[in-house]
Amino acid sequence: MYGGGNVFEATKFDTLQNEDPVKMAEFEARIERGEKIEPNDWMPELYRKQLIRMIEQHAHSEIIGSLPEGTWITRAPGFRRKLAQMAKVQDEVGHAQLLYSAAETLGKSREQMLTDLINGKSKYSNVFNYPAFTWADSNIISWLIDAGAIVNQLANAKGSYGPYCRALDRICAEEAFHLKYGHDAVVHMATGSAKQREMIQAALNRWWTPIMHFFGPPDKMSTHTEILMKWKVKMASNDDMRQQFLDMYVPKIWELGLTLPDPNLKKNAETGKWDYTEPDWEEFKRVINGDGPCNAERLAVRRTAEERGAWVRRALLNPKSKYVKPLA
Amino acid sequence: MSLTSLDPRVTRLNLPEGEQPPVEAKPVLDQFETYETFHQKKEGTAYTYVGPVHAPNEEVAFLFSKEQYSRRAACTGMWVARTSHIMVTPYVGDGENVYDAIRTEEPTERSEQPEAYEIFHLKKRGKAHTHAGRVEATSYQEALQEAKKAFGDKGPIVNVWVVKSKHVFRNNEEDKDMWLTIPDKKYRDAVAYKVMDKITKYKEENKTTAVQ
Ligand SMILES: [Fe+2]
Ligand SMILES: [Fe+2]
Repeated sequence: MYGGGNVFEATKFDTLQNEDPVKMAEFEARIERGEKIEPNDWMPELYRKQLIRMIEQHAHSEIIGSLPEGTWITRAPGFRRKLAQMAKVQDEVGHAQLLYSAAETLGKSREQMLTDLINGKSKYSNVFNYPAFTWADSNIISWLIDAGAIVNQLANAKGSYGPYCRALDRICAEEAFHLKYGHDAVVHMATGSAKQREMIQAALNRWWTPIMHFFGPPDKMSTHTEILMKWKVKMASNDDMRQQFLDMYVPKIWELGLTLPDPNLKKNAETGKWDYTEPDWEEFKRVINGDGPCNAERLAVRRTAEERGAWVRRALLNPKSKYVKPLA
Repeated sequence: MSLTSLDPRVTRLNLPEGEQPPVEAKPVLDQFETYETFHQKKEGTAYTYVGPVHAPNEEVAFLFSKEQYSRRAACTGMWVARTSHIMVTPYVGDGENVYDAIRTEEPTERSEQPEAYEIFHLKKRGKAHTHAGRVEATSYQEALQEAKKAFGDKGPIVNVWVVKSKHVFRNNEEDKDMWLTIPDKKYRDAVAYKVMDKITKYKEENKTTAVQ
């Protein structure tokens, strides 16, 4: 999963000025023709930087995202659900592995990415800074956060960078299970006892703001995405992805007789688009900058895992190893 | 004060609360070196590139690859090679053939006896390298020339990987049963969730109550 969107600050654009115009023209022509860029190709510094940032954030979102669902494995109701929840969490950690390697082909080491995550220097999807109070919260994550991630990942899988596309193809194939598993879990609660319905409705209410935040700030607030779209780094605008998500999932929520905590949410017959109340973007900024309910816990857990595993990695390290970045 | 979590196991870790001093940068190779993995999807088909793993040695790399790349997809065999053991040619554009562009280079190292090399082709950018075949040679450069003669004329080839066969770690033939997946893991498949039945039932029941 991944809080797509434009959560990163735009990189300085003056770097473009120093690029070789002939190589730049070849690079842009290749993308224009629909060919993929591979790791050893010439690429503008800005393309490299933005891709590293984006893929790295995506990778962090996968391992941090496995934490709120991971804590529910032992408390999942019944053996079958424990197995399924465990399989899903294992998939998410595998996604992180694939994505770290894709980012690594661009020249940033996995060591550096993990250090930057723990030190708060690089971000992960904001939604995982919120807690999963009940089993129902975990179900909402499995269904709707993964649904959002899929909208984003399917778009990005058509991007221009080969290694990222290959990783996303594998990831999207596994997400099909997550989506069905999550939907099934929510349907089970929504069509169950009065208490179960109440639990799932409460979780949905709690998660609606984070879900609306998921695709990032509205297009009118985001800067400089044209060139990233031209280079097929960013494949759809934040608002377009949000609209696509609403189109696909609001009807599925409503058909279960569940409600959403936004009185303005409706499909506008004239524009064909969804009208909604803008979520609180100040809250989004505050949480992404560290002041959310779970930021400290998420990073502390990650940091502890790294520290406690350090001796194992040291013991296994072959002193003759030499680092080479992955090929593709 | 230590950190309190909704998860009692996290609370029991006694993690310090509040902002922590930054950690030192992880040392080089904390995450080990990388290996490239190829899998065989079906008996008798060519091995195809699936992606890298980080590991301290090839046995562990093989185990990690098995988890990462065969856990969720059909697989009948796996090859793992250390990244630094793979020679990579330049990349050309889609539709071109890289063998036409490669100039013959003098080998820097040559073995006394010819040995086997595995050749992998990338047919299109963004796709995965596929095993083209095996050649005998005394150097990577010679292996590349042999590969050109043997399979260099089969349509567009945008990139070639060359690796010595002895550097490819593979499972033993008699261990093939490690690829059999246990049938009762259906809960990992999307098709195991028949959610529409429940929704239809719910809608029907609620329609009746509404009419009454
Ligand atoms: Fe997922
Ligand atoms: Fe994922």
